[in-house]
Amino acid sequence: MNISNVSRRNFLKGASIATGGLVISVALPANALAEKGILPKSSTTLNAFIHLEENGDTVIYCGRCEMGQGISTALPSAVADEMEADWQRVSVKQGDADEKFGPQATGGSASIRVMYQPMREAGATAKAMLIAAAAKVWKTSPENCFAQSHFVINKSNQQRLGYGELASIAANMPVPEKPILKKKNDFNYIGKKLPRHDQGEVVVGKRIYGVDTKLPGLKYAAIVHCPVLGGSLKSLDKTDAMKVKGVSGVVEIPRFDIPFGSIGGVAVVADNSWTAQQAVKKLKVEWNLGENAVYNTKEYKQQLVTNVEKPSTLTSERGDLDNAFKTAKNKVSATYTGGHLSHAPMEPNASVVWVQKDSCEVWASTQSPVDIQKVLGQYLKRDPKDIVVHVAMAGGAFGRKFKCDYVHEAAVISAKTGLPIQLIWSREEDMRTGYYHSINAQHIEASMDEEGNVTGWLHRAAFPSIGSLFNPALERASKDSLAEVTNHLFGVENFRAESGDAKAHTRIGWYRAVYAIFYGFAFGTFADELAQKSGKDTLSFINQLFDNNKNEAQQAQVQRAKDVLAIVANKSGWHKRSNLPKGQGIGLAVHYSFQSYVAMAVHVEVNGDDIKVLNVDCAIDCGQVLNLDGATAQMEGAVVMGMSLALSTEITFKDGAVVNSNFHDYPVMRITDMPNVNVHITDSDENPTGLGEPGVAPFAPALSNAVFAAAGKRYRDLPFKPLAV
Amino acid sequence: MQQSMIINGKKHEIDVDGDMPLLWFLRDRLEFTGTKFGCGSGLCGACTVHVNGQAIRSCVTPVSSLVDQKITTIEGLSENGDHPLQQAWLNNNVPQCGYCQAGQIMNAASFLAINAAPTEQEIDTAMQGNICRCGTYQRIKKAITEAADTLSKEA
Repeated sequence: MNISNVSRRNFLKGASIATGGLVISVALPANALAEKGILPKSSTTLNAFIHLEENGDTVIYCGRCEMGQGISTALPSAVADEMEADWQRVSVKQGDADEKFGPQATGGSASIRVMYQPMREAGATAKAMLIAAAAKVWKTSPENCFAQSHFVINKSNQQRLGYGELASIAANMPVPEKPILKKKNDFNYIGKKLPRHDQGEVVVGKRIYGVDTKLPGLKYAAIVHCPVLGGSLKSLDKTDAMKVKGVSGVVEIPRFDIPFGSIGGVAVVADNSWTAQQAVKKLKVEWNLGENAVYNTKEYKQQLVTNVEKPSTLTSERGDLDNAFKTAKNKVSATYTGGHLSHAPMEPNASVVWVQKDSCEVWASTQSPVDIQKVLGQYLKRDPKDIVVHVAMAGGAFGRKFKCDYVHEAAVISAKTGLPIQLIWSREEDMRTGYYHSINAQHIEASMDEEGNVTGWLHRAAFPSIGSLFNPALERASKDSLAEVTNHLFGVENFRAESGDAKAHTRIGWYRAVYAIFYGFAFGTFADELAQKSGKDTLSFINQLFDNNKNEAQQAQVQRAKDVLAIVANKSGWHKRSNLPKGQGIGLAVHYSFQSYVAMAVHVEVNGDDIKVLNVDCAIDCGQVLNLDGATAQMEGAVVMGMSLALSTEITFKDGAVVNSNFHDYPVMRITDMPNVNVHITDSDENPTGLGEPGVAPFAPALSNAVFAAAGKRYRDLPFKPLAV
Repeated sequence: MQQSMIINGKKHEIDVDGDMPLLWFLRDRLEFTGTKFGCGSGLCGACTVHVNGQAIRSCVTPVSSLVDQKITTIEGLSENGDHPLQQAWLNNNVPQCGYCQAGQIMNAASFLAINAAPTEQEIDTAMQGNICRCGTYQRIKKAITEAADTLSKEA
């Protein structure tokens, strides 16, 4: 018997599998073409499965990974809408790693942008086949039938046939080459406030996360990592750890020197997680720390500042910046910095892996099951397709769980012990063994003419980039990593972008909003500083910067950016801000990232060093919204994450190792600091674009601008109020 | 004689090391996985359960201190998942990833039991030990206020 079936159907607690006959399985037209040999199979594997049971119960699979962003409601609801399915009859299942689901690596706020159309087509295809089936039964034409709420109805005589009754006939109907999609006015679910499909399970504690996986015979592991990137094990005394009752073994995990492999560590295997965690503390481990032991972030941030305050490597230019600077009426310059960040999702890294002679099965909270297949395939020297990956609900991820070093480690322990292993990282290991958001510095110099128009803009950025994860020898961020600077929507005729030297000393990874965090901060804050210098209102100054953009290709984008900014200015009371009490102020910022436009107006009260955020108005244009409530929630969450990184969170390295350890010295935002957040979502017919990440970027600059308005103090370093650790 | 505790109305023998925190007894021994591990140090509140109705952090509470005590976990908060807080959580679509929400709800339930009509500031103070990294705080506040209203009508 195939082990994956055994464990999936009988053993895995909480997982449920559809019972009864799965009588219709609808693939996308593109895939149908592939099956007919018209397209090569490799050209597209986009494929959304709809399962209809005889009683009409419908299962819709979500191929993208769920980590709280609501994708497993949003995408299936688009299928259900086009299919004219009754959402009450639909249950959603998370797809395992399988190319039939299309691209599953979930990041870059791309899920809806990439999958919206294919998922709608999958639904429309199913509807067309169900209608064709009914027409066949009634011996009428499909044009004489229509679908509504899980039924096909005969227009002539109002006869009805349920989807369940039609399923087996529909399965044999030809797959339409180009299914007809609904018009916006006819949407039942798209653009509406649909509750999350799994909320009922969450509030009673029945939602199963990666960390909750249980298998018969499961053993539990805890780990301590090499504290410095590139270090290795020097000595290990496991005597005391092995004496702990319930401990069955200690496993050395050498560094697997690939981007998503283990940094290296030592694990203890025991009867339960608690025992494993206690025994890990009894290991006597010494490390060779290697060359990155020189890394100290306090000094390094200063080094980056030095590097951007002198000429560095040109990445792009236009116009004649030297001349613009020479003929300037005014010149303004500023330097902005930011620290490393740890994702710190509430669920620490966790997975279950069982490596056996002929199989390898994984249950993991993950953003990228395909990377688990690749990394474990490489480690075990097996075909990645033979690695079975069950994608579990992630208890937050924010980019961290795109990297599967923790799954690789569980695989090593399982391979060496032959046991099914659950490895759960402690919070301390999670904080200290990350793929961190980059430490960074930017220096901007701008020239203005007599009217306060910006005539020249020099922008230098220095940060160890994500590229360093794949090429550790990288000396500085690439031209592509500065694309957000080069393509910024502000219109400046004479412009130059340069990349300052910044070698990586730790693993750098995607963190919610990625580079938009610091680019948004620098552009948004500097725009306000320029406005102050020119004596103009920040809103009209930013609008002027947009209006100066003469690039034809960017005109529609510029308008959308201006529109969201206008919304928050109006909603926040920006135009009446002179009436605010002393010590209060409003700051504005707008940033385009992940193909979406987000503006924020932050209203603060400042009392000495105390910054109290009272109110945040946030407007987003992300094209057609799938789930209005989910989109609102993403923006609310983005404000909170923006506030944590603007005010308090920073990862500090000393002698190559992270100093922070838990939430006492990595103070993420708590409920006591929660401002009132109002989200305004534009009603747009444009194609849907990013939503999970772009909301984070404008918060920090809007806050900096608000504090300046309230108290005349300018913050240029993130976080504003770091904790000394 | 084997020592025991009452969990969600049912007696369970304590057949693990007395130092083991309740969290791991629940999760690994009894496989009640609704109670979550977040920090292991009582800093985040994800592991919150009730001991005799009082919210505690199960990650730092050894089972030896809970002999004959009455424990309630998220699985046992209400018979049918219809505690006013659970209802309010659904009405307001509070969860994003949902991982911290069991702890949030358990903490709020214990708090509302002693303060049925809290002010916003009292909610903040009571809930400040529970972290939500997705940032659902605004909805948590609203849901607690709503549940308090429901409870006051029931009373």
